[in-house]
Amino acid sequence: MKDRFSSFHPIVNFVYFAAVLLFGMVFMHPILQTASLASALLYSIMLNGKKAVTFNVLYMLPLLLVTAVLNPLFNHAGVTILFYLKNGNPITLESIAYGVSAACMFVTVIIWFSCYNAVMTSDKFIYLFGKIMPALSLIFSMVLRFVPRYIAQLKVISNAQKCIGRDVSQGSILARARNGMTILSIMTTWALENAIETADSMKSRGYGLPGRTSFSLFRFDNRDKLVFLLMLGLIAVILTGAVLGENTMRFFPSIKVPDKSLLSFTVYMAYLGLGLLPVIINVLEEVKWKRIESRM
Amino acid sequence: MPEKPLAGSRLSRRTWLAAVLILVVIPATIVFGIVVLDDRKYYFISLLIVLYTMIPFALVFEKRKPQARELIVIAVLAAIAVAGRSAFFMLPQFKPVVAIVIIAGVSFGAEAGFLVGATAGFVSNFFFGQGPWTPWQMFCFGIIGFLAGILFQKGLLKKTKLSLCVFGGLSTFFVYGGIINAGSVTMFSSEFSWKTLAASYVSGFWFDIVHASATVLFLFVLARPMLEKLDRIKTKYGLIEPGGK
Repeated sequence: MKDRFSSFHPIVNFVYFAAVLLFGMVFMHPILQTASLASALLYSIMLNGKKAVTFNVLYMLPLLLVTAVLNPLFNHAGVTILFYLKNGNPITLESIAYGVSAACMFVTVIIWFSCYNAVMTSDKFIYLFGKIMPALSLIFSMVLRFVPRYIAQLKVISNAQKCIGRDVSQGSILARARNGMTILSIMTTWALENAIETADSMKSRGYGLPGRTSFSLFRFDNRDKLVFLLMLGLIAVILTGAVLGENTMRFFPSIKVPDKSLLSFTVYMAYLGLGLLPVIINVLEEVKWKRIESRM
Repeated sequence: MPEKPLAGSRLSRRTWLAAVLILVVIPATIVFGIVVLDDRKYYFISLLIVLYTMIPFALVFEKRKPQARELIVIAVLAAIAVAGRSAFFMLPQFKPVVAIVIIAGVSFGAEAGFLVGATAGFVSNFFFGQGPWTPWQMFCFGIIGFLAGILFQKGLLKKTKLSLCVFGGLSTFFVYGGIINAGSVTMFSSEFSWKTLAASYVSGFWFDIVHASATVLFLFVLARPMLEKLDRIKTKYGLIEPGGK
């Protein structure tokens, strides 16, 4: 399935991820954390399919368990003592709850980052930051381009060296290592010379002169406007909740969750809505597409 | 090619900016963390502080309107570091990034060292996966490059193999290991205690040893040829010496 959220304007993508990552790191409240974890999981599976499932089960689940167990071993605060360790330190219910909560938070943030990696491609990042820090984003984009280029060039050099019997696959182990070093050395010299040529070429094509346009073109159209405003509205509701103390709970010395009210319910719904925003967009677009298709 | 602004004014502007960040913004963030976020969000707050420390470098670099040649040399060195990291990806912690960052700092100055390190940390995570560890890695690589540049300028670090290897090993173990392990405490357990910190240092010990010896090994092999190549490029194309000497 194609991800439609990626086709929105980069600023929409970026603000969305900035918000979910920030809120994911700050809010420690069981309902909000579950909402965030569930939406992160759902979206990551939607984006990366099977790969995301294996990633989540193989890496994230053990990480979650280890982090959850680690906290009560080092943290002995809390009033509800469950039992004592051999060295006399108490294990408390509060520290276990806190460990689970912190572990959840950490795993949620990592899963959000895996979604971020899929959606915020480097050209979007450069489009957004090219205006604020042009020199640094140019460096980023050049490095991203150079890496595959160097790997390709390395193959060219290695093939040329193979013709004269000086490849890493030829000779004794010592000779192989020496050949490898020679190839890297040739590579470095080429990279540096090539870089200066590129720089001169950039200069002669007017790098740094005013009035230049950027390569990627993104239009901020009505669809973007709608989603952006919706997103800002949800963020405003969540922030109101944060200011009123609805979004966190107390762990120490004893567990205390803020009382449920109409307001807290609204905040939970807004948080879930924000987390699921890309999933909802994807589903809606898919339904729309199916309907158009069936009419043809 | 227009000359770079004098080193003195550049340093002072950065110092001024850094001072504002350190004296005003960072304490404000910590207070915000304690009062508003209930003093439980070490992870988030420390992430913010790490990001702040990188802002002065970025701002000063952008203000200076760097030349294409300068940009591209930094990009090449960062790309070599990233490619090197991906070439050895199957050996955990055996990465040449620190070695190349140190060489960059020595050859092109502290600022270039910082930028090569931070860029290499940032871009290599486009290949290995971004995460909450990215700012920490960027900062550690960057600050090692910055230190290398400063120490070389002050004459404490020489262009000899021995001097570079000693600096490389120590800085990887203490600066990189020291900061990254502290960072992982804030990542994994949001409850800070000296015991968790100690546990993190103990569990990270062998990783740091491997990383430090990899740096020493790479510096031993790469330092001389790389520095020679960079010097040659500088002489051939008239790139400016570090610090506008």
